Amino acid sequence: MTPRWRLLLLALALAALLPAVLRVALAMPEFGAPTAVLGQSVNALVPELRHVANMVAAVNFDLRGFDTLGEECMLLCAVTGATVLLRGARGERGDVRAGHLPGRPVIPRADATVLVCRVAATLTLLFGISVALHGMTTPGGGFQGGVIAASGLLLLYLGEGYAGWRTLVPSPVLAAMEGSGAVLFVLCAGLPLIAGHPALTNGLPLGEWKDLYSGGLMIAVNAAVALSVTGSFGLLLVEFLEETREPADAPASNEADHEDGTMRART
Amino acid sequence: MSGLVAGLLLLAALSGLLVVLARDPRRQVFAMAGNGLVLGLLFLALQAPDVALSEIAVGTAVTPLLFLAALAAIAMDRAKGRTEGRAKGRTADPAKDQAEDRAVDHAK
Repeated sequence: MTPRWRLLLLALALAALLPAVLRVALAMPEFGAPTAVLGQSVNALVPELRHVANMVAAVNFDLRGFDTLGEECMLLCAVTGATVLLRGARGERGDVRAGHLPGRPVIPRADATVLVCRVAATLTLLFGISVALHGMTTPGGGFQGGVIAASGLLLLYLGEGYAGWRTLVPSPVLAAMEGSGAVLFVLCAGLPLIAGHPALTNGLPLGEWKDLYSGGLMIAVNAAVALSVTGSFGLLLVEFLEETREPADAPASNEADHEDGTMRART
Repeated sequence: MSGLVAGLLLLAALSGLLVVLARDPRRQVFAMAGNGLVLGLLFLALQAPDVALSEIAVGTAVTPLLFLAALAAIAMDRAKGRTEGRAKGRTADPAKDQAEDRAVDHAK
């Protein structure tokens, strides 16, 4: 296809779509105006119905909790697939040398990096746990807390190097976290079913508004999501960073005797 | 729309453009991380701190790292294949070897 045809196609598409786009854009509410009916009704009703202050968590874990269960299973499947594809061949043991491209300098990690990463990793992990714990009261929740904790794991890798990191973050533990989170979520959805109620029926005491314990069953679902997200993101990191190690059948190179840990072979 | 939001929207468009215009994969990854950071700040300015948290953690830290790890693995495989090819002597088709070399050089 020549550029001329492409331009023609673009002009045709614009001519066909522009009137509709303009019409919709002009009919939309003003930028940032909170006029959505659903949002207004959730804001008005949910604090009394569920005793939680974070409406997003209430929507995700209760009002449309069944959708979240589907997303949870999707995450589980995606991470399982990536793990199955990447496991084996490289970096299974912690003491495997980092892969190295011939002709690229190896720069040892500075002490300052180690110090900053240790401090920052601790703070990030604590912040992730806090965000996950306060899912019912402040913005955030299980998913956000989980990804923050996972990026804390990443800082641990930057600070400790591969071998130390693999000792600190055993992948069976991550897999167990991921699996137990998914099982907990399924239990939260399934146990009410067995008792004859709709799935995810909030049978626990709801607690007090703006309290750490508020929302009843939502707390368990939130914990399940936090566990599962931390586990799956951590597992993804482990599997991908294994790929930066030297393949098992590679001949030993003399220059790779230095301390490893930084990703030497960044293309 | 406040000036802050307008500026961040502009910045998001600019950094997104940079991701498309960067041709070197590694630079593209860093441009994408920058774009993720700008998007996170934009979500924060639009009063969605929870979305901002996940965007910054996923878009700025985790995804670029996965891309970097993949690029590193690809480069190592190519370098390994090239040294093995040299050890065995050139293959029957020198033009193909040169093309592979160029591909590796380009990836650097």
